[in-house]
Amino acid sequence: MITVRIRFEKVGEAAYISLLDLQRVFHRILKRSGLPVYYTQGYNPHIYLSFACPLSLGQESVCESCEVKTEEEQADFAAWQAILQPYMPQGIRVISVAPARDKVTEIETATYQIALPAAAAPALEAYNAAEQAVVLKKSKRGQKETDLKAYCKQVEYTVGAQEVSFTLTLPCGTGEALSLNPGLLLGYLQQTHNIPPWQCRVLRTCLYTKNGEEFC
Amino acid sequence: MPQIPMQLREALSLVQKPGRYTGGEPGCVYKDKSKVDVRMAFCFPDTYEIGMSFLGEKILYALLNRHENWWCERAFMPWTDMKEQMERLQIPLYCLESKDALREFDIVGFSLEYELCYTNILAMLDLSGIPLRAADRDEHWPLVIAGGPCVCNAEPMADFFDVMQLGEGEQMLQDICAAVEQGKKQGLSKQQLLESLAQIPGVYVPSFYDVTYQPDGRIEAVRPNRPGVPERVTKAIVKDMDSFIPPEDFVVPLVGAIQDRACVEVLRGCVRGCRFCQAGQIYRPFRERSPEVISESARRLCRNTGYDELSLSSLSTSDHSRLEDILDKLNAWAEADHVSLSLPSLRVDNFSQSLVEKTTKVRKSGLTFAAEAGTQRLRDVINKNVTWEQIERGCRIAFAEGYTSVKLYFMMGLPTETMEDIQGIADTAQKVVDLFYANPDRPKGKGVQVTISVACFVPKPMTPFQFCAQDKRDILREKQKYLLSCVRSRKIRVNYHDSATSVLEGVFAKGDRRLGAVIETAYRNGAFFDTWEEYFNYDRWLEAFRTCGLDPDFYNYRTIALDEVTPWDHLDVGVSRAHLVREYQKALCAETTQPCNRQCSGCGANKLLGGPCFDYSKDSV
Repeated sequence: MITVRIRFEKVGEAAYISLLDLQRVFHRILKRSGLPVYYTQGYNPHIYLSFACPLSLGQESVCESCEVKTEEEQADFAAWQAILQPYMPQGIRVISVAPARDKVTEIETATYQIALPAAAAPALEAYNAAEQAVVLKKSKRGQKETDLKAYCKQVEYTVGAQEVSFTLTLPCGTGEALSLNPGLLLGYLQQTHNIPPWQCRVLRTCLYTKNGEEFC
Repeated sequence: MPQIPMQLREALSLVQKPGRYTGGEPGCVYKDKSKVDVRMAFCFPDTYEIGMSFLGEKILYALLNRHENWWCERAFMPWTDMKEQMERLQIPLYCLESKDALREFDIVGFSLEYELCYTNILAMLDLSGIPLRAADRDEHWPLVIAGGPCVCNAEPMADFFDVMQLGEGEQMLQDICAAVEQGKKQGLSKQQLLESLAQIPGVYVPSFYDVTYQPDGRIEAVRPNRPGVPERVTKAIVKDMDSFIPPEDFVVPLVGAIQDRACVEVLRGCVRGCRFCQAGQIYRPFRERSPEVISESARRLCRNTGYDELSLSSLSTSDHSRLEDILDKLNAWAEADHVSLSLPSLRVDNFSQSLVEKTTKVRKSGLTFAAEAGTQRLRDVINKNVTWEQIERGCRIAFAEGYTSVKLYFMMGLPTETMEDIQGIADTAQKVVDLFYANPDRPKGKGVQVTISVACFVPKPMTPFQFCAQDKRDILREKQKYLLSCVRSRKIRVNYHDSATSVLEGVFAKGDRRLGAVIETAYRNGAFFDTWEEYFNYDRWLEAFRTCGLDPDFYNYRTIALDEVTPWDHLDVGVSRAHLVREYQKALCAETTQPCNRQCSGCGANKLLGGPCFDYSKDSV
């Protein structure tokens, strides 16, 4: 049995598909594709399908992925990619289909490309100058205060004609490991400088494993 | 890929389930708008989840988009949070595919499924910036059209639509699009276009008819106001169900729809002739699709969409003369394709062992039987030809197969109903509970749950009960109370709901053209989403009636004389008035009528086929 990773982009309209809906969409696409994916062996067999580090609603990404399994030893994964793509909704493009090298638990950080309206530059200056930037992080076990500065000391932004943009790297662990959503920073900027979050674009560009390699 | 505009992004970031407003689902059709001649916005006046469950839209979406130079897109009523944001940010209502505003389309079409959605139609036009009344729109505005079952009494909405479609849209809507395409090329005025549209079978142009009233408010006459327009508009139908292949691809919703499964229509019309049922009359005559077409289309549909659940849809699926054949054909591939079958609309009187076995291979859920009335006398009045023995047989089979929950549907407020009939509802449920415990092989450690669902009866036009007055609310409340007092077992659950919405439903179902003003007034005063209890405000409606100087009771609480001109007399769905009168009189004597496939009752709908509906020489059923 091989674990297969399907890597894909989720941009534009597709940014508004929630994880729950995305799971259903992929289920149907896989079923429809007729590819020899593994079905669980229970009373109601269903396709084994698991998503890594799902994205927040409204954010975009060029490094999403999910796992399926197959019993086919010599599968032609380039063909899989070609078969899957036409069934995808607007905004989802399959980047690659290949045997998984890393376990999802290996993921440690994620980088994001963030674009804010030009008016946000002073807010970022203020963030850079601040001693602390404490936000409330909600989790299943309740709320916890987190200092963003501990994970992102300085934001090195570039000023464009209409927007300021920067790259952000944040912890992105699975399970018990720490994970921070870039939405926390946007929330902080809204709170302190009234920057409307819908004017900010978040694009996840890469997931990295514990030994610093690109997750694949 | 087009970027989502900033204003829309802002709105989307502030609402629940933004995926309802973005489109892009698998199966949706994109075209180059510079290369199409006719653009149609197919609008459903309720939320995305409800509209995406609607098979009619899927049928017409597929048919229209098969034409290379036409593009049919979808729009739904945004939920209140999105509506608020769209108004605040001045985002006009748009179609999900192109994100273009409705007013840029050639045709804006609405589906009229339910009377309480009328205010949503006005809200959607308003959100698009389109004038509400047809008289206020010249050829620069889209042609605003309607279709769906409520068109059989179109009058309350007549002032808002340029064109209404009576009957089935498969051919009619394509003819309308073709006429609009021609009209654009020839530069026709709106009047000229309407005149050409009025020639299409089933098309009703309300502005071509004048209504005159008697001093007491009853209709004197509805007459065409120009030559070349039919006195009565006759419903359009599809004569041969196999001539239109059912849709083999759906737009598969990303955000869960209510009916989120593959669905194939197996037959149209109904042989039963239940006297309360509007669908049973207006969809006549009865026509079947062949098992071969059903099975092949269903298989392709499941493969194209990835659905793992298939539902066979119709008014009464078990009345298909070759149902077993259909199920055998479906079962031949369903399991291997990981598809499970479900059959809504089974009837208790021909519910058989082998039917249960063929449909419960995968999962056992609850069973629902529509008994409709609690006593045999009242079931005979409404011509629901179901006996207690049949219900008993059905439940016995179901319990033996391992079902432990049964749902029974009833109505309250039926003509000639007495408290004895209400008591009968509780008694029927109790007898079903007793049946369960009488089964020695019942699953150990499991109880039975019998749910009684009681709806308020609303007399509908084009039915034998159109002449009847609706029960008043206080009487219905008394009956509900009495029913609760009759139920003594904890195994029986009673569901009923308040009857204020039923009152309005009754008023608009049998209403006339003057009610357009009431609907508009109520909308201007904030009425929309009247189908949703939390937004329904009865007092606002009563206020609107007062403002317009109209009495709602005139429409639904009054018995209509058998020879009175009704607001819908100029609309012909096939069933003759003589038949309705005959059936009404039989109802008052509790006399039943045979289903059409056994004996023709002469309703008149076979004129639409041009011959008899059944070959009675064969010994069918």
